[in-house]
Amino acid sequence: MIIGNRKVSYLEDEKILNNGYKKAFVYTMIALAIALPFFADDYTILMASLVGIMLIAVVGVNVVIGYTGLLSLGHAGFVAIGAYSVSIIHNVLGHWGVPDIVHPWVALPGAMAVAALIGILVGLPSLRVKGIYLAVATLSANFIIIFLIEIDTFSQWTGGRLGLTTPDPNFFGWVLDSQREVYVLIAIFSFATILMVQNLFRTRIGRAFVAIREKDYSAEILGVSLLKYKLTSFAISAAFCGLAGAMAAYFYAKILPEQFELALSLQLVAALIVGGMGRTMGPVYGTIIIVLVPELLKIGMGAMMGNSIEAAQLRAPIQEIVFGALIIGFVLFEPLGISQIMDRFFRALNRWPFARG
Amino acid sequence: MQFAQFVINGLMAGALYALIAIGIVAVYKSTRVVNFAHGYMIMIGAYLYYTFAVLIPDMTWAPSWLSSWTPEWVAQARVGAKMFSPTAALYDWIPNIPRIVFGLAGAIIGSGLLALFIERYLMRPLLGQSNFSMIMVTVGLISVLSGFKSLLWTGDAASVPHLTPNPAFRLDFFGTPIFIFGANFMSMIIAALIFGFIVYWLRHSSAGVAIRAVSEDQSTAYSMGINVPRVFAQAWLIAAATGAVAGAVLSARDGVSPSLGLFGFSVLAIVLMGGLDSFVGVFIAAMLVGVLEALVQWQMGGTWVEIAPYVAVLIVILIRPHGLMGQPEVERI
Amino acid sequence: MLSVADVHLSFGGLKALQGVSFDAAAGEITGIIGPNGAGKTSLFNVISGFYKPNHGRILFQEKDVSHLKPDARAHAGMSRTFQNIALFRGMTVLDNIKLGCHTHLRANVWSSLMYFGSAQKEELQARKEIEEEVIDFLEIDHIRKAPITALSYGLQKRVELARALAMRPKLLMLDEPVAGMNREETADMARFILDAQARFGTTILLVEHDMHLVMDICAKVVVLNFGRQIADGSPKDIAHNQNVIDAYLGQAG
Repeated sequence: MIIGNRKVSYLEDEKILNNGYKKAFVYTMIALAIALPFFADDYTILMASLVGIMLIAVVGVNVVIGYTGLLSLGHAGFVAIGAYSVSIIHNVLGHWGVPDIVHPWVALPGAMAVAALIGILVGLPSLRVKGIYLAVATLSANFIIIFLIEIDTFSQWTGGRLGLTTPDPNFFGWVLDSQREVYVLIAIFSFATILMVQNLFRTRIGRAFVAIREKDYSAEILGVSLLKYKLTSFAISAAFCGLAGAMAAYFYAKILPEQFELALSLQLVAALIVGGMGRTMGPVYGTIIIVLVPELLKIGMGAMMGNSIEAAQLRAPIQEIVFGALIIGFVLFEPLGISQIMDRFFRALNRWPFARG
Repeated sequence: MQFAQFVINGLMAGALYALIAIGIVAVYKSTRVVNFAHGYMIMIGAYLYYTFAVLIPDMTWAPSWLSSWTPEWVAQARVGAKMFSPTAALYDWIPNIPRIVFGLAGAIIGSGLLALFIERYLMRPLLGQSNFSMIMVTVGLISVLSGFKSLLWTGDAASVPHLTPNPAFRLDFFGTPIFIFGANFMSMIIAALIFGFIVYWLRHSSAGVAIRAVSEDQSTAYSMGINVPRVFAQAWLIAAATGAVAGAVLSARDGVSPSLGLFGFSVLAIVLMGGLDSFVGVFIAAMLVGVLEALVQWQMGGTWVEIAPYVAVLIVILIRPHGLMGQPEVERI
Repeated sequence: MLSVADVHLSFGGLKALQGVSFDAAAGEITGIIGPNGAGKTSLFNVISGFYKPNHGRILFQEKDVSHLKPDARAHAGMSRTFQNIALFRGMTVLDNIKLGCHTHLRANVWSSLMYFGSAQKEELQARKEIEEEVIDFLEIDHIRKAPITALSYGLQKRVELARALAMRPKLLMLDEPVAGMNREETADMARFILDAQARFGTTILLVEHDMHLVMDICAKVVVLNFGRQIADGSPKDIAHNQNVIDAYLGQAG
C-alpha cells in the first residue's frame, strides 16, 4: 500500500519532490550544504568542493549519455575548455582594464558558451552515425583539445604544459580567494545545475532527448528533429561541463592540461554509471563514490602500510583498478547504478510496513 | 626526394596499425562490441613479451642458452662478419632466437588467457543485452589494465629484442638514399601476412562463416546450432594473439612503456575511418594514416603526429559517416 | 487531403513499390490491404518520410512534402503508429503520450531549464488536455503511470494510438492496429478508431490484415500486390474484384 501520495491537481502531480521522503532527503542535503562552511574543517571543504565541481560535470555528461543515449568519452575536453576559457577571459578583461567586479559575469557565461559551441562541433558526427562513432569522435576531440592547449603556438594564452595561474573571481565586491569561499559558489551552482536538468526533463526538450535514446525513429515521427535535439543535448551538456571547468579554475590556484585528459573523461563516465544513468540523483551518488573512494583507499592503505613511499606508489594503480572495477561491477550487477538501489529503499520506506521491495 | 623515405616509413608503420586493427575488427564483427581497451591489451602483451624475453632469461636461475644461444659456429661466423653488414645483423640475431620464441609464446599465451577471462567473465554475462553495456565494460577495462600494469611492472621503458634481424639497408631511389631498418621491414611483412591470413581464414573457413553469421544475428545463429560463445571466444583469441605480436613488435621498435595503451586509440580511430566491419577499408585506412603521420612528422614536426589520426578520423566520419568502406546499416522499421 | 502520386521504391534490385497512386479523402478512413510482402509498410514509410521514393511524390494538403523529413511531416500534421509497436519502453504511459504533444509545445531550452513560468504553464495545460481528450477517451486512466513494459500487447497498441492522437493529427496512419488481438480487443479498437474519426474529424489511413475490420470501417480500400496497385474502390467493389480474389486465393489454373 502506498500512502501519502494523494494528488488533487496536475500541478501537484507534476512536482519533482512528489513525496515526503524525497522532500526530507533533498531538504536535509541542502541544509547540510549550507551549514558546511560554518563548521567544517578545510579537508571536508576540499572534499565537498571536489564533489561539487565533478557533480556539475557529471550532470552535464548525464544529459548526453544518460538521457539522450549518445556515448561520449571526451567530456573532459569540455571541462578543459571551460577552465581555460574562464581564466583567459579574466586575463583579457583585466588586460583591457575592465573592472574586476564585471569579470565573472562575462567569463562564466562566456566559458559556457565557448564550451557549448565546441560541443556542437564535436556532436556533429552524432547526426550521421550512432553510438560508437560518436564515442571515438569525442575521444578524439578530447585528445585534440588537450594537444592544442599544450602546444607552444597558444602557450602565451594557455600557459602550455606548465599550466595557467587562475583568477579569483570578484562577486559584488567580494573576492573569493579562499577555497571555503569558492565552495559556496560551487554549492550554489551544483544545486542549480541539478534543478535545471531536472526541469529540462519535465518539459518537451528533455522528453525529446529521452525519446531519441529510446527509439529514434519513433521520436522523429512525433516531430522531434534528430539533428536539432542531438546537437542541443550536446550543447547543454558541454555548457555544464564548461561550468564545472570554470569552477575548477576558480577553486584551484593553477590548472594543468593533464588534469583534463582521458582519465577525467573516464572518471566522469564511471561516476555516471556507478550513480545511475539517466536518473536525476545518479550523478550525485556516483560523484560522491568516485571522489571518496580514492580518499578511503588512501586512508585504508595508510592504516595498513603506514605512510611509506611504497604505499604511495601503490596507491595510484590501485585507484585506477578500483575505478575500472566499479564501472565493470556496476554494469554487470547493477546496471542502473546506486539510483536503483536507493529507489528500492525509498519504495520500501513508502510502503512500509505493508510490503517490502 | 625525402618524400619517398617518409612514405616508406609510413607504410611500415601502417602495416602495424593494420595488424592491431585486426583485433578490434574481429571482435566487432563477431560480438558487435568495439573494444576500447584493445590498446591496453596490446600494452599488456608488450609487457609480457618484455617479461618473458628479457626479465626471465636474465634471471640468475634461467639457463644461459635462453638469454644468449651462441653455439660455436655462430660465434665464429659473427667474428668473421663485417660490421653493420646484413650478415652481422643475422648473427647478432641468432643468439636471441630462444628468448624471442620464449617471449612471443609467453606474450601470446598470457594475452590469450587474459582475453578468455575477459570474454568468459565480463562479456558473456552481458550476452543479449545492449552492446552499450559491453562497450562500457571495455571502457572500465582501460582503467583496470592500466592499473595492473603499473602494479606489476614498475620499471619503465626498456629495450627488448627485435623479432627479426635488424640490419640497416641503404637503397638508392632515383639518386636519393633511402634507409630501411630490416626489423621494421620484416614486421611490415609479418603484419601483412598475418592480416592476409586472418582475412582469408574468415572468408573461407567454417569458423569464419560462423563468425560472420553471428555478426549478422546472434540469436538466429544460436538457434541454427552455431556455438555463439565459442565464436566470441575465438574472436577474442584472435584479438589477443595479433595484439601480442603487435605488442612485441611495437615494444622492440619504441621500447615498452604505458603509452602503448594510448596507441590503441589511434588504431580505434583508424578502424572507424576504414569502416569497422570492412577489413579492406581498415587496411587502406591504416596505410593512409601511417603515411599521413610520416608526412606530418616530416612537414610539421613530431608533436603534431600524435593528433594526426584523430583529426583524420573526425574529418572522415564527417564526410563519410560509415568510414571509407563500411556499409551503412539499413534500419528496418 | 493526401495524394500518393506514382510512387516507385526499390531496395537495390528489389522493387518494393511500383507506381502506387491514390487519394485519401479528408475525414474518411482509407484502408490499404494486400498479402504479406505487398509493400504496405514500405508505402507507409514512404508517406511518413523514412524512405525516399525513387520516383513519384507525396502531396499532403495540396503541398508537396516529398522532400521533408519525418519530423517536418509530423509538424505538418501527419501521425502514425507502427506494426511492431514503437513506444518508448523506458517511459511511462503518460510521458509517451506527452511526447505526442511535442509539436504543440513551444518551450525553448532556456525556459525549459528554468521551468517556472511559461514552460510550467504550458506543461500543465498540455497535461490537462491529454487527461481530458486522450486518456479519458481511450480509457487508459488506470495505467497512466505504468511503464510500457508492464502493459499487455493490446494495451500497448492502445497507448500507441493515444500517443498518435495526442498530436491532434490531420492524417492518422495506423499500421495493423488490431494485429494479434482477439475479437473483443479488435472490436474495442475499431470503436476507438471510428470515435476518433467522428470526434476529431481525422483522416485515417489504415493498413490491416483483418478483412472484416477493413470492410466494415473503411470508405475506400486500396489493394497492393507485389508492390503494384491492383485495385482501389469501395469495399464492396473490392470484394468482387477478380484481381483481388486472385491475389488472395491464388490464380486459378
